[in-house]
Amino acid sequence: MNRVVITGMGWITPMGHEIESVWKGLLTGQTGIDYTTLFDASTFPTRISAEVKGFELKKHLGNEIQQHEGAGRSTQFALAACRQAWEMAGLRSDTLDLDRVGIYFASGEGSLDFQAYTQSALSSWQPDSGKIDAVLWAQSAARLMDAIREIEQEPNAALPHLAMLTGARGPALNCLTACAASTQAIGEATEILRRGDAEVMISGGAHSMIHPFGVTGFNRLTALAENEKLKSVLGEDNPRRASRPFDNNRGGFVLGEGSGVVILETLEHAQKRGARILAEIVGYGSTADAYRITDQHPDGTGAVVAMKEALKDAGLSPSQVNYINAHGTGTRENDGNETGAIKQVFGDHAKRIPVSSIKSMMGHLIAAAGAVELIACVLSIRDQILPPTMNLETPDPECDLDYVPNKARPACVEVAMSNSFGFGGQNDTIIVRRFI
Amino acid sequence: MWKRGFTHNDSPFTLLRIHMAKRVVVTGIGIVSPIGIGIENYWSNLLKGVCGIRPISSFDASGFAATVAGQVPEYKIGDYVPKSYRKATKVMARDIELAVIAADEAFKNAGLKSQAYANPSEIDGLRFGCNIGAGLISAELDELTSAMHVARDGNRLDLHKWGIEGMQQLTPLWLLKYLPNMLACHVTIIHGLMGPSNTITCADASSHLAIGEAFRTIQRGKAELAICGGAESRVNPMGIMRYQLLNRLNTCRGVDPSQALKPFDVQATGTVVGEGGGLLILEEYEHAKSRGATIYAELAGFAASQDTYKLTEPDPTGRSYGKAVENALKDARSTPQQVDLLIPHGLGIPSHDRAELEGLKKGLGEHLSRIPVSAIKAQISQLGAGCGVDVATAVLSIHHQTVPPAINTRQTGDIRLNVSDQSRKAPVRTVLTTVYSLGGQNAALVFKAPDEAQ
Repeated sequence: MNRVVITGMGWITPMGHEIESVWKGLLTGQTGIDYTTLFDASTFPTRISAEVKGFELKKHLGNEIQQHEGAGRSTQFALAACRQAWEMAGLRSDTLDLDRVGIYFASGEGSLDFQAYTQSALSSWQPDSGKIDAVLWAQSAARLMDAIREIEQEPNAALPHLAMLTGARGPALNCLTACAASTQAIGEATEILRRGDAEVMISGGAHSMIHPFGVTGFNRLTALAENEKLKSVLGEDNPRRASRPFDNNRGGFVLGEGSGVVILETLEHAQKRGARILAEIVGYGSTADAYRITDQHPDGTGAVVAMKEALKDAGLSPSQVNYINAHGTGTRENDGNETGAIKQVFGDHAKRIPVSSIKSMMGHLIAAAGAVELIACVLSIRDQILPPTMNLETPDPECDLDYVPNKARPACVEVAMSNSFGFGGQNDTIIVRRFI
Repeated sequence: MWKRGFTHNDSPFTLLRIHMAKRVVVTGIGIVSPIGIGIENYWSNLLKGVCGIRPISSFDASGFAATVAGQVPEYKIGDYVPKSYRKATKVMARDIELAVIAADEAFKNAGLKSQAYANPSEIDGLRFGCNIGAGLISAELDELTSAMHVARDGNRLDLHKWGIEGMQQLTPLWLLKYLPNMLACHVTIIHGLMGPSNTITCADASSHLAIGEAFRTIQRGKAELAICGGAESRVNPMGIMRYQLLNRLNTCRGVDPSQALKPFDVQATGTVVGEGGGLLILEEYEHAKSRGATIYAELAGFAASQDTYKLTEPDPTGRSYGKAVENALKDARSTPQQVDLLIPHGLGIPSHDRAELEGLKKGLGEHLSRIPVSAIKAQISQLGAGCGVDVATAVLSIHHQTVPPAINTRQTGDIRLNVSDQSRKAPVRTVLTTVYSLGGQNAALVFKAPDEAQ
């Protein structure tokens, strides 16, 4: 089985558009969360989000933008993040066997063509029958909708863009397992390399759900932090205080957007070309809760097994893990369950392992969350420092681990674990290790 | 094992891995298709040449470029879930229902008593994986527009009103109806499957890729069993419109719908969208043998690749497609010579069909003109992520030693194909099924007769 290493990383996040500045922001407790500007959310229960700001694809791709101008918002993030990662890895398409370069991505569905969609629907609505008139709808939609804008919404739309950008012709897959998706994609990409079905894999995720129906969906599920609730609990709805993983006053997650991309290679391939190795991926575990579509398993069984499987896969004992980058969404349910699951896996050692959630600053990037968080783990190993969990002001008796509250902390980090849990009971865990 | 034809890329570790990899067989099948729900209905109609493409009945399609589709016959979802789970069917988009129905059959067919059929469950849920491909699920227009109507300003949606009184019209679980991973989610909950779980969203290639990925999961010993494949319904206004906008639809005006979709035929004029789902139970060989399961076929090879051409068209040279075929055969330690049946994608879109044939020619060489081809989209239409039906067909062809027909493929231009509009008995020992997606993902799977691989 081949060993698999990370040789390149890139991200487009609510806190910035390149690795070092965002990392610095994470270590100094900055925030990417603010009042929502992408649409008029002024009457929505949630009026805050973690938007990517000031992004221009042209700045990242220059003249190569032509093929990608029609790309949807999240695919554009993916392209820019991929370019960064590709360059950091020092890869060049003309020196690679491109049939052995694959992509395993976790792109979310693109945003609806909102104007065309709503106008077609409303103009054909028949209040009496409570149905749309499909004939009127078809006329309207055929006039207002655009073939390319529609096809770019498909969750697999990022793949051809990334393939055209890099020349990758190897195995290409997109998985969309909600909030666990990019951790899963990186884990599965690792398996492809281990088996030898490719030498290089581009992996990670991209997503943007900061649009009216995205926020609606999560608001209806009462999964998001809401402004009025924040005011009643904190006396203000200050966006930077909105995402509160593990805090007793947490009330939901803050929706973010962006992309994280990693370049994975077989160790052999990386060494042969003299690449700089950033870390090694040593363990991966994936499970399903098989419990309920709305709730995580209260016993945390699925999460426990995912972490245990990852440890077993890595051949590591719990005490060898130096840091856990938590899923830590800031919902009442997740943080309590995740804490319980960590205790089940790590036993007495749980209280000695620092656990933090960068969602406190970054927001929740949904399908892209795991990739961004894995990159943070790699940087922690590189710089021997842990990003904090911000806004941890009032301890929750149920959440009693060391969450690296409010301040980054120097630490000896050889092995880091990253957890991602998705709606529908999808659990994925990855373990990275300093390359030795 | 040295017969496999290793490449110079195979490291000693790779060789060891291949040697240690577990063997994987198919022990269960579930099918929901426009020509029937259930294996028996499907298979007998497929062999008889029945076409499932008919005028759309679920909504008035007269305003669309195409008025026909491959629709699944009527069903009651409650018949396919345990009583205790009937309430949850309210939050299932049609795509999810199709997956749940196919899963129910697959479990029964495999003789696996999950918690849906036995208390306590007779399967080890922790060693049972799930990988179900899904499409971009369209929100039900009536439901969403009914809520939007409350917040309308003329034909615009007034977001102010929407925030105050519109969104509240939607059921709290609205979003969960449409997340692609909800197909796998409901199936894992109903049957109690806690092993490695995944959802592939690569349009038409989703099922093949999901099955290939589940195959690898069992090969590397992470599960003994997995349910895998995919399901999708595009028979809704948004689903049809997306294809209409791309000019890929067969307008089919004044034509007998059963003659509409002509895969690889010189007279092909476009595809017909449909709905369906195909799921397989994959099982580690020793596990299947020890429980005395019926083994339909061995899944012997899988490979995937990506075009670098453009978003809306397959690469006309078929380069990557051919590579997927070549690598899947190599993975199965098979040669083009050994292939007895090919089940390609064959959409009846002229430029796509040409590209596909180029790719198949690259992968199969001169054998492309020899190997019997079952171009079944003519009967079942294009099922998107539901192309697991194609894969199930490959497995059934081995099981029944029968080549299904290609009812509408008569004249194929430069590249001659071995097609017949009649099904026929024939030795079917090795089957190749291939697929590509809009977006350029290619996948190929190779199945072998169970005894072939002893």
